[in-house]
Amino acid sequence: MALAVTLLSLGAMVLQYRLVEARLMAAQQSLLTADLNGLAALYDQRRIIALRQAIDTRATAATEGEMLLLMDRNGAALAGTRKDWPAPLAPAGDTFTSQGVVEFTEDRTRWLAVARELPGGFPLLVARSLQPVDDTLSALRRGIFALLGALLLAGSLVGWLAARSVMQRINRINTLADRVAEGQLDARLPGPRSDDEFGLLETHVHAMLDRIENLNRATHRLSDTIAHELRTPLNRMLQKLSRIEGQDDLTADLKAEMRQAIRMFDSLLDISRAEADQGTGGGLVPVDLSATAAEVWDLYDALAEDKGLVTEARITPGLHILGDRNLIAQVLSNLLDNAIKYCSPGDHLTLTLSPDTDRILMRVADTGPGLPDDLKPEAFDRFTRAERDRATPGHGLGLAFVRAIAARHGARLTVPPCEKGFALEIRWPRLQQSD
Amino acid sequence: MDRILIIEDDPETAAAVRHEAEALGCATDHRDTLASGIEAATTQPYKVIVLDRMLPGGDGVDAMARIRAGGSTAMILILSALGRAANRVEGLEKGADDYLPKPFEPEELRARLRALLRRGTIQVLDNDLLAFGDLEIRLKARTVHVKRNHVPTSPKEFDLLTYFARNAGQVVTRMQLLENVWNLHFDPGTNVVDVHVGRLRRKLEEAGTTAIQTARGEGYIFAPVPAPPIGTTV
Repeated sequence: MALAVTLLSLGAMVLQYRLVEARLMAAQQSLLTADLNGLAALYDQRRIIALRQAIDTRATAATEGEMLLLMDRNGAALAGTRKDWPAPLAPAGDTFTSQGVVEFTEDRTRWLAVARELPGGFPLLVARSLQPVDDTLSALRRGIFALLGALLLAGSLVGWLAARSVMQRINRINTLADRVAEGQLDARLPGPRSDDEFGLLETHVHAMLDRIENLNRATHRLSDTIAHELRTPLNRMLQKLSRIEGQDDLTADLKAEMRQAIRMFDSLLDISRAEADQGTGGGLVPVDLSATAAEVWDLYDALAEDKGLVTEARITPGLHILGDRNLIAQVLSNLLDNAIKYCSPGDHLTLTLSPDTDRILMRVADTGPGLPDDLKPEAFDRFTRAERDRATPGHGLGLAFVRAIAARHGARLTVPPCEKGFALEIRWPRLQQSD
Repeated sequence: MDRILIIEDDPETAAAVRHEAEALGCATDHRDTLASGIEAATTQPYKVIVLDRMLPGGDGVDAMARIRAGGSTAMILILSALGRAANRVEGLEKGADDYLPKPFEPEELRARLRALLRRGTIQVLDNDLLAFGDLEIRLKARTVHVKRNHVPTSPKEFDLLTYFARNAGQVVTRMQLLENVWNLHFDPGTNVVDVHVGRLRRKLEEAGTTAIQTARGEGYIFAPVPAPPIGTTV
């Protein structure tokens, strides 16, 4: 911007410079022409004698701005402001017209000269110094450069000030976006809003955040309400069920069904809550992942051994993450429970927890039947179950839950290809410890 | 007679709680709004308060601080439809002594109430030795002896046995074990706890004591000496 203005000004000034230069040159030229005309008139009357007298008179009163020289046939000066003929100049023509004006430089002064050889071999030199022109032009140049410098400086300053104000206002909005991304959905910009585009942008961002916040709050409230509205009647049913006597097997079955329904429904709520909270750090605290993994493993290891699986846990102690212990335990519980459910006696089940560059790798691998190929793409979707597993109890939310909880913790979930069975890797972001 | 305050807006649930409380030989009071509940809790002495969460007037969890500030020393059992692990952990972290999600089985509630009533009466075990006839548990050394023979236990088995021993003579549910021994507040679906109790039980039986018995449909009962009549359910 500043540069464009400067360039434009530069163009204008160059134009003006050229004009001034041309005018000044023209003025010098007309002075020279006037000189020539005067000398021509004298020469017409009395030839060389008159010319010599006139030049003599002029030479005594001559200023530094003019140069006159008349010489004789032998090269001796007859009259003039100097004695010798300037070296770079050769006489041309014998008339007093102002044609054939030449420029030459002597002692770093430029001259506009007419050099002639008058009939009879008398060289005549009439010249006007271009020094005043050069002085004026150089003054003009200095002026132009000073002005350009000032323009550039002023332009940069104004540009910097404008940019700074814009950047500050954009930064305000960026800071807000960062805070929201960190989970402060209620963060807003304080202070009054200007009535320009920035103000409008802030208003739009605020409206958007209000909507997100409301939706989020509604999700939270809805899950509580659903829980209340569903569990209260279920509770009445369960109380009544307990009063039925003599049909123990049937009531036990019904209770198990209810428990299963509640588990499914809790998983759904947990998934949607985790998705709503995704990206926010709220509710996450430092958790000893190694200890949690060891505890859950201990719980399921016995079950796996009883089923005849060959189990192994390689847990590096002392690995911490920022998380929710119960959710992490549920994730691991889901994975181990799945593995044990689908594996047959003799299959291997391993849990690995180890540091992996800046993350912590949790790997649960078994040598069971694995995922059917046609199921792989949607294995992590809700309610996905393989046709062959219809008879196995489950609700198809296990892996969807694992994925949602992993995302809630900023962990990366991968299903590495394995020759036999199923393996799942979760890379948890390591807790940055200050010590 | 121990008094139990029930703050619950669903009359059917309140009746079920009252039934269990009375079965344990307690007197009950019922309030159906949070304000009247807090008022009762801070003016009369109760042993246990059974508190709902989504009540007319607010969330029971937020009222706990006011009940405590009002001078109540009652054990607080939250009985709520907000039953996900996150809700339970929140309630316990905010000072509840126990948290039972709805829907609940009457036996589960009875076991919880009994444990809370008992926690209010017995002193915290400060001695090193828990002895039940032939069975001796040394807490500091973390060793178990039956008839003077050492019974090797894994760390979790030891924790499990200690929890049983502290609640000797009472029905302990699987959910209680999972919460108190494993500190897990969700329903894992499969009865993983059974495997562990089974192992511990076999170890003790091999050593010569039938300390742990199954309470059908309810959980387990630790009764190393011939089961005492009080505390067992009929």
